[in-house]
Amino acid sequence: MEYRQFIEALFQRAKAAGFTDCEAYYSAGESFSVKVFKGEILKYSASDELGLGFRGLYNGKMGYASTQILDEEAIDLLVEGAKSNAELIENDDPQPLYPGDSEYAKVDPWSDALNEITPAQKIELAKRLEALTLAQDERIDQLESCQVFSSVGETAIVNTLGLNVHSRGNVLGGFTMPTAKDGDQTGSGWSMFAAQQPEEINLESTAKEAADRAIASMLGESVPSGVSRVVLAPEAAADLLETFCGVFSADAAQRGLSLLNGREGEQIAASCVTLIDDPHRAGSVSSSAFDGEGVATKRHSVINSGKLTTLLYNLKTAAKQGVLSTGNATRSYNSSVGIAPFNFYFAPSALSEDALLAQLGDGLRITEVQGLHAGANPISGDFSLSAKGFQVVGGKQAQPVKQITIAGNFYQLLKDIEAVGGDLKFGMPGGSCFGSPSLLVSKLSIAGK
Amino acid sequence: MISRRIAEDTLRAALKKGGDFAELFLQDKRSTNLSLIDGHIDNAVTGRTHGAGIRVYNGLQSVYVHTNDTSPSGLIAAAGKAADAIGDKPNALDIRLVGSLGANVHAFRQLPMDVSGARRAELLRRADVAARSVSAEIQQVSCGVAMSDSEVLIANSEGLFTGDRRVYTRFRVSAIAVGGGENQTGSESPGALMGGELFETRVDVEQAAIQAGKRAVTMLKADPCPAGVMPVVIDGGFGGVIFHEACGHSLEAEAVAFGNSEFAGKLGQQIASPIVTAVDDGTLPNEWGSTNIDDEGNPTTRLVLIENGILKNYMVDRLNGRRMGLPSTGSGRRQDYTFAPTSRMRNTYIAAGTDDEAEIISSCPDGLYAKQMGGGSVNPVTGEFNFAVSEGYLIRNGKVDRPVRGAMLIGRGAEVLKKIDRVGRTMWMAQGMCGASSGSIPTNVGQPMIRVTGITVGGR
Repeated sequence: MEYRQFIEALFQRAKAAGFTDCEAYYSAGESFSVKVFKGEILKYSASDELGLGFRGLYNGKMGYASTQILDEEAIDLLVEGAKSNAELIENDDPQPLYPGDSEYAKVDPWSDALNEITPAQKIELAKRLEALTLAQDERIDQLESCQVFSSVGETAIVNTLGLNVHSRGNVLGGFTMPTAKDGDQTGSGWSMFAAQQPEEINLESTAKEAADRAIASMLGESVPSGVSRVVLAPEAAADLLETFCGVFSADAAQRGLSLLNGREGEQIAASCVTLIDDPHRAGSVSSSAFDGEGVATKRHSVINSGKLTTLLYNLKTAAKQGVLSTGNATRSYNSSVGIAPFNFYFAPSALSEDALLAQLGDGLRITEVQGLHAGANPISGDFSLSAKGFQVVGGKQAQPVKQITIAGNFYQLLKDIEAVGGDLKFGMPGGSCFGSPSLLVSKLSIAGK
Repeated sequence: MISRRIAEDTLRAALKKGGDFAELFLQDKRSTNLSLIDGHIDNAVTGRTHGAGIRVYNGLQSVYVHTNDTSPSGLIAAAGKAADAIGDKPNALDIRLVGSLGANVHAFRQLPMDVSGARRAELLRRADVAARSVSAEIQQVSCGVAMSDSEVLIANSEGLFTGDRRVYTRFRVSAIAVGGGENQTGSESPGALMGGELFETRVDVEQAAIQAGKRAVTMLKADPCPAGVMPVVIDGGFGGVIFHEACGHSLEAEAVAFGNSEFAGKLGQQIASPIVTAVDDGTLPNEWGSTNIDDEGNPTTRLVLIENGILKNYMVDRLNGRRMGLPSTGSGRRQDYTFAPTSRMRNTYIAAGTDDEAEIISSCPDGLYAKQMGGGSVNPVTGEFNFAVSEGYLIRNGKVDRPVRGAMLIGRGAEVLKKIDRVGRTMWMAQGMCGASSGSIPTNVGQPMIRVTGITVGGR
């Protein structure tokens, strides 16, 4: 069944079964990826996928159910599933559906030119990326992985209160993971690109960055344990922001899972820190004119010159707090409503990277952190992570460093930021996208040899 | 789910333009999740995952296509897409599928759809009360029950036509202790390849909740872990994540076949201390990482990876096996039909040794006792791993001393394996989700208490 027709039949059946307000969240997409090895195609995949999530109010409680097939049987399964789920809910928080806004920003992360790139051209891109990576340095031994991928997606939310929004997006990306070898020493590095327009496909700089990292990883040595001043490179800072972004969620705050509960208006970070969520950022497939509940999105400063200006709200948490939703509801067809930023980043300054290293003087520049899913505790803010980077001596980057850990606390780190660089970079876009410039941090604990 | 004839037609269509092997993987999975937070049932979600994946090989090249459309025409269309990608040599193969449904080793009694919402809600309420009973400092409890029932059908051009039914049940609880302007958390998440009988035979939700609560309170009062290189005693159960990360991933054919592993080319060589024997076993009845057949249709096996320190076997899937010239070990796994399978771990553990657990601690120089591990990750190329200690204590003068938090262990797998100087007598396992290129899959990790003479411990 075509999805609009399916939704119509679904709402009719749900109303007959006793549901009052109903909503359908539909998403569909196509994905492509090709992996090459030594100039040959190793793996190739091309797929399509759809999902539809139903939710509705039954006796005032919200029930959810989802499906990946749109047939007659699925309609009954959704209605029955959502009904029995609604009957289990004990939470009395209001669960409002949204009738829609009169105006939405024009956000269309879609490129026809990108969509016209053929599978054969993508295979060529992957082969070139592999060849370019190998050509960077004779110590680059082989590639652990080299892939080019693309995806096309659309989302629609329709409800019985009149909401009817639709969006689409496409992206083409790639990554390369070279291995460096010299005698007994091995190292590995990686880099990626994500393009929203064909001209953003930059294979050369991706290959160079990955190869440089592999060589540094091979040559790196541990450093003595102690406390150090540190510059976090954009990738490392963005990874930390992503890991701890949940502390800015009003839902986490209201449940006592974030220490930022009730602290709006307070100074929580150094005055050089401004943190922005921009759902309309150009060139990001994470951008959208509406959130997971259909609320029109807006650009927000979450931290402004160190002061916490707002948390991120969806309709439920906003109603609880007596404020307006910030338009940060997130959901997928098979999940309930949560909260997440769109394009979340620390605002850059005008300071060059060299100037930031000069200000650091002696210390470490951390380019990569690992172990985020286990070594970071989003509840306490504590983190202890495996890291790679460089020593910095007299304001200049020196010997590569590996096999160390950096440890600290995210809440404290926000206060310990001495300076912010101008080199803002974003990571891989997904449901959300995270970015940061380099951050100069006054102290982190280092474990090494 | 579909007839043999439709499977034959699909495989024929997949091979019509060349290619020497085709496989169809069809899945229909129903899942239900119920969760509680703030003392209330907060979220109830049910879902149906349904689709098919078609794989074609041409020598060492592989193509994978997946779709939600499992009608005969949908399957033929997806097979045609795969065929177009593999080549342009016309090919007419005679494919005759022969059914082979083996016995189910993993009995299940209470299917997810037969365990009422009310019963699941009651388990969650009991867990909530139990966790809060630990201390007034426990100010938030979040818990959930996740159940799923997945039917898979696997057919391939060598004539295989088989299937499996996998019923999973897992309970999770996190307790959050608050005090002195800080939060700390403790979690437990036991599960098994079985239905609702899990809660009668294996898991006491109240006991799990109390354990989580106690851990959160202990960690709230813990000082940060000191940093440096020190001896580390790692307790059994989830402590086995060290082997999973530091060595297991590097023994998967996906890494070894391309030389992307520090253990490539080392079969028959001493790679670990002679007191270390490690096993990957997909056949253990009802264990979290078990299945009757793997996701390529091969029976799962018990595989000795390391015996008395000597490398015996790699974990091999069909495609990487071709590259390596080795047969499948029944290790081909995938999250669901949207992923092509690759070699993965199942229930992976260091086998019981002969050392007395009390002596392991009393003879230990000052160091760290990692009672409970968090997760970790590894780079198989270099063997560099990291993993977090979620409940740790200092060892001072041969005794377990004060708790410490925020410890992170880093090192290289090959080095750590050689530095194991004690292996305890009692092995047990714990459940985890392992993420890799074929998605997130249930795996058990396990070990008895072990001791490593020196690891870099991150802390502050």
